[in-house]
Amino acid sequence: MKKKLVSILLSAALTGSLLAGCGGADNTAAPAEGGTEAQSDGGAAEDAAAGEGAADDAAAESGSKDGAYDLTLYTINSTDEDFPDWLANVEGATGLKINVIAAPTDSDTRQQKITTILSTGDANVDILEINDEMSASFKNSGWLEGLNDTVMTEDIRGEFPQGYVADMITDKNGQIIGVPGYSGYLAFWVNQQILDEAGITSMDTKEDFVKYLEAASGDGRYGYGGSWEKTYVFNEIAQFVNMFGGDYLDWTNPANREAMEFIHEMVEKGYTPIDQIADKYEQMNPKFNDGKYGSLFMWGLGTDYDKAGMLGADKIHMAMVPQFSDQKYIFTDSWSYVLNTASQNKEAAVKFLQYMASEEGMKASYEAFDRYPARRDVAEKVVPDTDPAKEMYSRYANECVVKGRPMLPQTMEFISAMGTIFQSYVKDEMTLDEFCTKAQEYVETYNQ
Amino acid sequence: MINKKSLQWIAWVLILPVLLIRGFTTIYPILKTVINSFYDIRILSGVHEFAGVSNYLNIFKDQKVITTLEFTGVFVVVSMFFHIILGVGLALILNMKFKGRRFLRTIVLIPWAMPAVVIGMAGKWAFNNDYGLINDLVRRFVPGFELHWLINTGTARAAVIALDLWKDLPFFAILILSGLQFISSDIYEAAKVDGANAVKSFFYITLPLIMRNVLTLCIPFTLWRLTGFDLVYSMTSGGPGEDTSLIAYRITMEAFTNLNVGYAAALAVLLFLVMAVFSWFNMRFMNRFED
Repeated sequence: MKKKLVSILLSAALTGSLLAGCGGADNTAAPAEGGTEAQSDGGAAEDAAAGEGAADDAAAESGSKDGAYDLTLYTINSTDEDFPDWLANVEGATGLKINVIAAPTDSDTRQQKITTILSTGDANVDILEINDEMSASFKNSGWLEGLNDTVMTEDIRGEFPQGYVADMITDKNGQIIGVPGYSGYLAFWVNQQILDEAGITSMDTKEDFVKYLEAASGDGRYGYGGSWEKTYVFNEIAQFVNMFGGDYLDWTNPANREAMEFIHEMVEKGYTPIDQIADKYEQMNPKFNDGKYGSLFMWGLGTDYDKAGMLGADKIHMAMVPQFSDQKYIFTDSWSYVLNTASQNKEAAVKFLQYMASEEGMKASYEAFDRYPARRDVAEKVVPDTDPAKEMYSRYANECVVKGRPMLPQTMEFISAMGTIFQSYVKDEMTLDEFCTKAQEYVETYNQ
Repeated sequence: MINKKSLQWIAWVLILPVLLIRGFTTIYPILKTVINSFYDIRILSGVHEFAGVSNYLNIFKDQKVITTLEFTGVFVVVSMFFHIILGVGLALILNMKFKGRRFLRTIVLIPWAMPAVVIGMAGKWAFNNDYGLINDLVRRFVPGFELHWLINTGTARAAVIALDLWKDLPFFAILILSGLQFISSDIYEAAKVDGANAVKSFFYITLPLIMRNVLTLCIPFTLWRLTGFDLVYSMTSGGPGEDTSLIAYRITMEAFTNLNVGYAAALAVLLFLVMAVFSWFNMRFMNRFED
């Protein structure tokens, strides 16, 4: 009997402690629920404003509870060596204490995590950095707060690249949902040493480009290199389609066919290697640094080339995009700071975003991460004339037709599907006709 | 006198927390997945409507999934075949008496102890034609050797299977080894006296005695292959095309990247059924083997 009594007491204690453990989650669950409600209300400004009062209360409550952070930032830059200085700058300027969560470096994983955070109404993250692919997918989902009245106000809106803002970060209600963190181009990069060796002095036209490919290719070297992994190759397909004057979302366009034939011919003639269909940027860039490629298209300001001691006018540098058709075409991109609709710290988040959209905020990003300011007026002031990117970026802006990349709502699915058939096409597992038919099917399927 | 049956409620109270936790973490997600599989849920398009069995029918029309199922079958069969053959071989080697045996038994487990994602990332570089250690090693014996492992269907699949074997084979072997150690040396000595050589001893003593062990291990190892995801995710992203995509990888992509929750749920239910049927067959086979 005594044993039984002790057993019952111990079991009761165990059950009690288990239940107490479960009960502890109540406090944290409540804001998350609130977040879900706010999200289902949609991204309209008035709803957001209505939610802010409650959010403020919750924020104040959570502030008094742990007193630690004013907002949480989900960022891709935390591994940058200058990140601590940048964070100190932002915290000093805004008076906010910022909790930082590092986003995964792998693009698929990152997108999955961000999608999960936003789609579940997770209120633990207030500000996130998202790329164009995610912007295209999320902008009409109601997961992101509209910023027209608070951050992207009329006085500064015009300074951002207009085409980009309209195509990429404006939702169906006309609300801008992000603050572009920088302005980037899918720049054309060349290896000057190979250019000199090939005796090529200018690369203005398609004929010049082909001449360069011919001269630079051979003995394990290729005139053109890329990263043709199925989710990365999208940029290059779209770039070549653009250069030929085609339309990535219309595969009945003869210019698209011409572009695809050109790419296929580059592979056939040994101007570009087929093995790059397994490559992402981390495989492509070392090959470029090692002199295996004569030219390529790449985002950013050449940090990887700089680190390898290969960046410079006499080594690897940006060049003007050759003109293949009526005009020169180039893509622009950005990563934007966005505000999670489910955030419980909207006031602090808006303060952060206002700083990121300001001259000081953009200057801080340029100095810490080499991010070319998205605002034209700020770039003029902040970027010194000695920065080689300044001249080329300004030429791109003035001489090229600057476009945002063609994205559909089901972005990643579309990109991956197109990449898959592209790989089949360049491996001769599919004819050009089959490729174009399939591509058009995908455009129609994923544009719903 | 207290009736024992009347105290049964105490037993139920005691296991109630476990039942609740299990119900919430296992039964509920399974039921929810089955329910979702009958709905067309596409979060990015804002679609959420009853779809009947159309998700299941679409599986067999979707070329991506057909290729995925094909590779999953190849991956499981080939990988398990080599797990058994090479695993038993490695276990026999580890069971031999030689200097440094203990050290070898320890280091052989290192690949298994490493996270699959890390191995996948390392594998992507290892099989690179220009920078990879595999081709570098081959070139020491065959100068000028060139092979782009990850761009052709056959070689990419072989690379994924080889890496999977490299990672998990040692663990399989160590578990077989534990079975080998239960076989008394007296049996081998008696067989030797009767004139049995090493090959006969293996087929008539060792193999029958470890067979149950091997079959038991085949259940979890096959199920792990069926649910394998991380290696492919980090090594090939399912490429070239969808040629190295495994079913668990496809489910993850549909669920978390494409946000086609209903379709992903149908795929998950299909995988669940395949796993359940496989386990049932395996158990039956084991029972028969025992009889």
